[in-house]
Amino acid sequence: MSDTTMAGAPVRRASMIRTIASKELKEIVRDGRFAWTAAIMAILLIAALVTGAERYAGYRLTQEASQAASNSQFYSQGDKNPHSGAHYGNYAFKAAGPLSLFDSGIEAYAGSFVFMEAHKQNLALSPPAGDLSAIARFGDLNGAMILQVLMPLLIIFLGFSTFAGERERGTLRQLLSMGVSKSDLLWGKALGVGAAVALVIVPCIVAGAVVIAFLKVTPSGDAFGARLALMSLAYIGYGLIFLFLTLAVSALASSPRTALIGMVGFWAFCVFLMPKAAGEISKVVHPSPSLGEFQTDMQMSRVKGLGGGPPPRARLEIYKQQLLKKYGVKTTAELPIYWVSTSMQKMEEMDHEIYSYYYNSLNDAYTAQRRVQDNLGVLAPVLPLSSISMGLSGADLLHQNTFTAAAEKQRRLMVETMNGYLSKMAVDFNANQALTGNVSMETNVLVASEAVFKLVPPFRYEPPSLAAVMHEYGKGFAILAAWLVGSIALAFFTVGRLRPQTR
Amino acid sequence: MLEAINLRKAYGGYEALKGLNLKVAAGEIYCLLGANGAGKTTTINLFLNFIDPTSGSAKVNDIEVSENGLETKKHLAYIPETVMLYGGLTGLENLDYFAKLGGHGSYSRVDYMRFFSRVGLQEAAINKRVATYSKGMRQKVGVAIALAKQAKALLLDEPTSGLDPKASNEFSALLKQLQGEGAAILMATHDLFRAKETGTRIGIMREGRLVREMSTDEVSHADVERIYLEHMH
Repeated sequence: MSDTTMAGAPVRRASMIRTIASKELKEIVRDGRFAWTAAIMAILLIAALVTGAERYAGYRLTQEASQAASNSQFYSQGDKNPHSGAHYGNYAFKAAGPLSLFDSGIEAYAGSFVFMEAHKQNLALSPPAGDLSAIARFGDLNGAMILQVLMPLLIIFLGFSTFAGERERGTLRQLLSMGVSKSDLLWGKALGVGAAVALVIVPCIVAGAVVIAFLKVTPSGDAFGARLALMSLAYIGYGLIFLFLTLAVSALASSPRTALIGMVGFWAFCVFLMPKAAGEISKVVHPSPSLGEFQTDMQMSRVKGLGGGPPPRARLEIYKQQLLKKYGVKTTAELPIYWVSTSMQKMEEMDHEIYSYYYNSLNDAYTAQRRVQDNLGVLAPVLPLSSISMGLSGADLLHQNTFTAAAEKQRRLMVETMNGYLSKMAVDFNANQALTGNVSMETNVLVASEAVFKLVPPFRYEPPSLAAVMHEYGKGFAILAAWLVGSIALAFFTVGRLRPQTR
Repeated sequence: MLEAINLRKAYGGYEALKGLNLKVAAGEIYCLLGANGAGKTTTINLFLNFIDPTSGSAKVNDIEVSENGLETKKHLAYIPETVMLYGGLTGLENLDYFAKLGGHGSYSRVDYMRFFSRVGLQEAAINKRVATYSKGMRQKVGVAIALAKQAKALLLDEPTSGLDPKASNEFSALLKQLQGEGAAILMATHDLFRAKETGTRIGIMREGRLVREMSTDEVSHADVERIYLEHMH
């Protein structure tokens, strides 16, 4: 039949859609369901945003204070042997993500600081529970979770009876006898339900923003405004996917009850089942080692050599022989360079290869797992959305890896600077002590003044730019867009086939 | 205005309508009589494009319904046995909504009041939610919607069943007015008395066929009943 076409003048169409939308909104708002769902949603969303802001403010304060304290300890170690100073080490603290007050992402699981010391690349750690504020007891309660999990439910509650209810109450016959086009009907109803959802969500976000402004938390970061815009876009898209699916199912279902059951089932599949299942599937596809395996394997490679290569000790011996030969001497004590620090730096560099290999493989496995999960987003749009949300918030694996890579770079710089200075000291010392013999292995004799630590610049790092984030999650946006197009097409299809009940 | 030509509708092996030929001109009230299942509602559903014909054609204002469903509906108003409205909205809001859906977006409040007073809905009721309305009041809103649509043809499916005699009488009077203004009205009904009283022509249907047509001015009340019963045996 020809019920779906016949586009009149655009202005008339727009006013028709507005008419349908405002009637839909009026009915929803007058329904008893609206008030209590809106109230629950408002309480949870505002609470999540405010606790998120407090957590963020607390984190930033702690991070800045801890970094300053740790730096000051490192720089005021007193006069000391430089290599011992490298053992004393320093801490690197991760900067808070620009929007992590909204989405704390993996922050609860991934470490927020790294101990940087000689010889060892350490894993990032989290502060012990006792150091966390009372806010942490709310656990995962953050704005992103509320919007990802509860917003779809709100949309389903407000929209499931849109078509099925008209069919059940019999108004569908009256409605379809009026000669209104099905596409106007669909757009109008979508706009009406969408407006009702916005009526709940938008004031909460505004209220949350006001409270956050009042708390004097000033989020910052690369292209903060653009991140906010992209974040809104992703969540609006996600909401629209559920909106059009709900309308499609409502037009298809024999009764509102069936529509509700069907959509709540899909919702549970999407936000509860799939994230867990996707996590498991991604681990099967790209296995990642346990912490124990990781540390044991890495230690084993430090002893036995990487991938069946010669063990580091043997490689060091070869290097030593090369040096002895090069300078035409028999013992390391006769070398014009200070063997102790040279060998330590050589060992350090051989360790770099091993650490890089293991940490990179681990991060690659995690990243590959995350990409598998994003791809499973073709089954559940929440998967790419949560990745996008974490990414834009700066609380994802990409930001974590950038931080830990920067900390390792800093660690290597620190150790190399200290060992290098020690070598230079030893050469100078030996030149001065030519008549009394070499210091040879007596490292601790060489004590530098405290100023030596100033040779190491304080830890600073650049979090990933928005471009890098978008490069990583562009595909997630594409999957969400495909979902949106698909759900709109499905809604058009089922609404186009809509018929009133005929005896 | 309304025309059915060899109109057939089959559901699987069951034929609900077996080649109906029918014409309702402007200014006519055509009353379709017949037992339940005779094909009256099927006929109305076909004119409304709610179902597709198996063969034959239904035309409104000489436009083929199955090819131009949206266009033909613009000329039609439909009043079922119980007019279904949005219970959460007031009578006025319902009328306003359906008027706009029918393509008449420029009515003022005064216009709406005029429609309501014409169908006899008390002014006190129009701002109450329809959920509180009696069946008679709902039917009145249904007629007001039809008036607001300025439809050239009306399809009525047992619109007065269950109405008290006074309400039924008022309804018939309204139909006569609309007829006088040139509307073509097709009404399925069980009410033989009203059919003779209000209609200009009567058609009797049985098992998907139109078995008898007559002009109401040629027959008496008693004749209508006798002829009807003859065809039911």
